[in-house]
Amino acid sequence: MFSIYKKELQSFFYTPFAYIMTALFMFLFTLMFNNALGNIDHPVFQFTFPDIFYNVIFFFIFLIPILTMRTFADERKFGTEVLLMTSPVSVIKIILGKYLANLTVFLFMIAGSSVFPIFTHLHGTLIMNQLICAYIGFFAWGAMFIAVGMLVSSFTENSIIAAVIGEIIMFVFLFIDDFSRTDFIMQYPKLQSFLYAFAAQPRFAYFSQGFIRLSDLVFFLSAIIICLSWNYIAIERRRWKRG
Amino acid sequence: MITIEKLTKYYGSNRAVNNISFTINDNEILGFLGPNGAGKSTTMNMIAGYLPMSAGKVTILGSDISKEPVAAKKNIGYLPEIPPVYPDMRVKEYLSFCAGLKRIRYSERKDEISRVMGLLKIEDVKDKLIKNLSKGYKQRVGFAQALLGDPKFLILDEPTVGLDPNQVIEVRNIIKDLKKDHSVIFSSHILSEVSAVCDRVVIINKGDIKAIDTIENLEKKLGGSLTLHIKIKGDRTKASNIIELTNGVQEILSIDAEGNDFFSFAVKLKEGEGDGVKNAIMAELMKYGIQISEIYSEKPDLEAVFVEMINKPDDKHGLLDLLNGTAPVNETGEPDGDEEPGEDDTDEKEDDE
Repeated sequence: MFSIYKKELQSFFYTPFAYIMTALFMFLFTLMFNNALGNIDHPVFQFTFPDIFYNVIFFFIFLIPILTMRTFADERKFGTEVLLMTSPVSVIKIILGKYLANLTVFLFMIAGSSVFPIFTHLHGTLIMNQLICAYIGFFAWGAMFIAVGMLVSSFTENSIIAAVIGEIIMFVFLFIDDFSRTDFIMQYPKLQSFLYAFAAQPRFAYFSQGFIRLSDLVFFLSAIIICLSWNYIAIERRRWKRG
Repeated sequence: MITIEKLTKYYGSNRAVNNISFTINDNEILGFLGPNGAGKSTTMNMIAGYLPMSAGKVTILGSDISKEPVAAKKNIGYLPEIPPVYPDMRVKEYLSFCAGLKRIRYSERKDEISRVMGLLKIEDVKDKLIKNLSKGYKQRVGFAQALLGDPKFLILDEPTVGLDPNQVIEVRNIIKDLKKDHSVIFSSHILSEVSAVCDRVVIINKGDIKAIDTIENLEKKLGGSLTLHIKIKGDRTKASNIIELTNGVQEILSIDAEGNDFFSFAVKLKEGEGDGVKNAIMAELMKYGIQISEIYSEKPDLEAVFVEMINKPDDKHGLLDLLNGTAPVNETGEPDGDEEPGEDDTDEKEDDE
């Protein structure tokens, strides 16, 4: 498992890939940060990082699938899947190795964003607990999306298709919240609460307000577990019916 | 020892591999011969544990590949048809990754990697990106990967494709050397290669095993009869009469005219016949004043064995034919190029060959 993890990290960090992704992320974050600074009209200079995170998530929907699109699609494209499948490593370990590697790159990107709180801290005061909660929420959100992106990547050998489908799914996750609050859906309270249960956005909102709720953690964790298990099933299933 | 029992693979309703059984003994090189689309790669993929089988069993040193995959795969080095290399990695990185995959201990990795690199002579490209390598080098890097960890069994799917003649010989020598303490199963559609390297051959076509034997036995079994090539100067009809009437001649295969009064005969002898017939023909021809400018006998080569084996009518027949005792002797299908043989004889009964 470790060797797969290491190889994946190498493929991210020995190429410009991880750096470009991080740079793009930082760039988006900077835009948001500057916007927040620019909009201050209150005599007490105040803005919240959770709000910035909230906005960044929208762009993140485009970044995460790019990160994960190659995970399994490329293995199939280059025929290296055979190597992994015929080596004495179980499929579960292959998936976990790759997942952890993607997660590490994601952490690397988040770590880049810590420049802004540090900068703020130097020139003002930070509400630490809220910031930490927002980071945890952001991480949980990203971890879930990475699992989704990997799952999609295992469906196809074309990484571009994997990225696009991943983006669509993530959009659904993002907008299901608004959708469940439309008048049409509101007519059916049961359907509404069902759809709302899948909405990731309000869960992040709790984190950003400084709440760590068990139900939210369970939501993200179970989404990750479901996606990774599905990933396992998808790979095995294709081996069985390949032809 | 690898035991393969009644291995079958369906792709949807297409049967790619049909109920094949054989064993690979220790210290043996087994050639796996068949035209394109015969089911060679599918079979090898199943033995290596990449594809699950529809039915049957593969046992590698006592561990069933589908029940104890990790234990079974530890003893296998597999080089698939397309070398499984990552274009964005350097050769050394790639091999070190593979060593990790094969759970070679960290302290031994460096030595192991330099051992296989030395064996396949890829030290000079160890710091190059794999995508910049030529096909031959990629193939060798893939081979090196299979040798990592010194697995007991090597499964090589067309290992010499894309290599230049020099490298082909090198790779063959490596395979021969490996025989000392490994078993190798290696597929090819090139006959000379198989006959140069292998101890035993499995001939497969359209998913069925056509023969399992040593090359010598196959040659013997098929055509114990020699072909006599005679080039004469003189009367063609007279000569052919003489030849035909000689004892021990089966038939005249062909007569070709070659310039003025020269004719080439290809004569098939009866089984077991040889020099005696040759001498008798020579004596007779000379008696009637026909000059012989060339005469030699030819053993049937592996090529002929191969073609004959593949086009041999199946030993299996429709149930009705069996009942009526009118089993057809047809099915001389050309080996076709597509990957999945589209045979639709699913309701046919099979006798063991």
